[in-house]
Amino acid sequence: MPKLKKRRLGFVLDMTPLVDITFLLLTFFMLTAKFKSEAESQQRFTIVRPQATADTSRLPDKDLAIIKIGIDTIAGDTSYYYEMTNEADWARVVAATEQLQIPPTVRQVKVGLSELDELIRRTRIVKPTTRFAIDADQRVRYKWVEDLMEVLRQNRATVFNFVTDRRPPEQPPM
Amino acid sequence: MGVADFGGEAKRERRGGTRQRKKMRRLRYRLDMTPLVDIAFLLLTFFMLTTTLITPQVMEMTIPPERTQVEVRESELLTLRIRHDGKVFYSLGQDAPQPIELKDLRTLAVRENVRLKNRLITLLKASPNVPYGRVITVLDVLNQAELEITERLAQEGLKRERRFAIAPMTEQDEQEIAQL
Repeated sequence: MPKLKKRRLGFVLDMTPLVDITFLLLTFFMLTAKFKSEAESQQRFTIVRPQATADTSRLPDKDLAIIKIGIDTIAGDTSYYYEMTNEADWARVVAATEQLQIPPTVRQVKVGLSELDELIRRTRIVKPTTRFAIDADQRVRYKWVEDLMEVLRQNRATVFNFVTDRRPPEQPPM
Repeated sequence: MGVADFGGEAKRERRGGTRQRKKMRRLRYRLDMTPLVDIAFLLLTFFMLTTTLITPQVMEMTIPPERTQVEVRESELLTLRIRHDGKVFYSLGQDAPQPIELKDLRTLAVRENVRLKNRLITLLKASPNVPYGRVITVLDVLNQAELEITERLAQEGLKRERRFAIAPMTEQDEQEIAQL
């Protein structure tokens, strides 16, 4: 008896593995997503970081005080900006530096050298293990960084980090 | 058998006995997954595109705690000066400063460190007017040289100890390299 050929009108594709993988990836990206911090969203400048050769050392994400030297996109002036990743410590630093009159909701504060000195000193008192990072725009004059390093030195914060971006390997330094 | 099971059985019996039995028995149940998959893909795409996997890297820096005069032997001193226009000059000891290209700086750092067997002190002086990015580039070159220096010194049985300092540029420094 000849076999009856089954005519396929449509076919059903088993989507289960696809959906499994999709959800796996979705979960991964959702859990690893790091949202802009409050301090960053208050920021009115973008920092063009200097490039350095690829390195394995990464910016620590805990107990970090970041001193940014940015060029304001609208006004075009350079200034220091101070922020801390640890919210509780930041609240204590703000409370301790009453004369600076920093509103408690502000996470990133625009400061001059003398205020910076006060803030760094307070930070060192509140939590001596806080690490400092200098995140400066590559276009700013070196004087800004030099002055900042002097302030850090006066406050005995002699180990700190320069935040850099990875230089693409095919692009040698000029 | 427990009490609960009795109850369950009774219930089943009651339901099974009714006329609705045929309608309740659904063997093949198909749920339309399309909207779910749509949303899942939408979210996946969103999170994939907004994620930045590259976190900024850092360059560690240590400065001496006090600004004190340290006596060093002139012959063991390598001074690097970065002029306001970004040009780099080097001088060994009390020699006159000479211009140097970045690509040669690495070779120089390796050569002098190996020659003086770990005793060389590198001093970096940058003009206040030079862009900060330039200073980082020079520091980066010196960091790159470290690998080779460590290796070369290890061949000679020495353990590398880095001696490096950043100092402010004085007017005298500025004058020395102004005409070059």
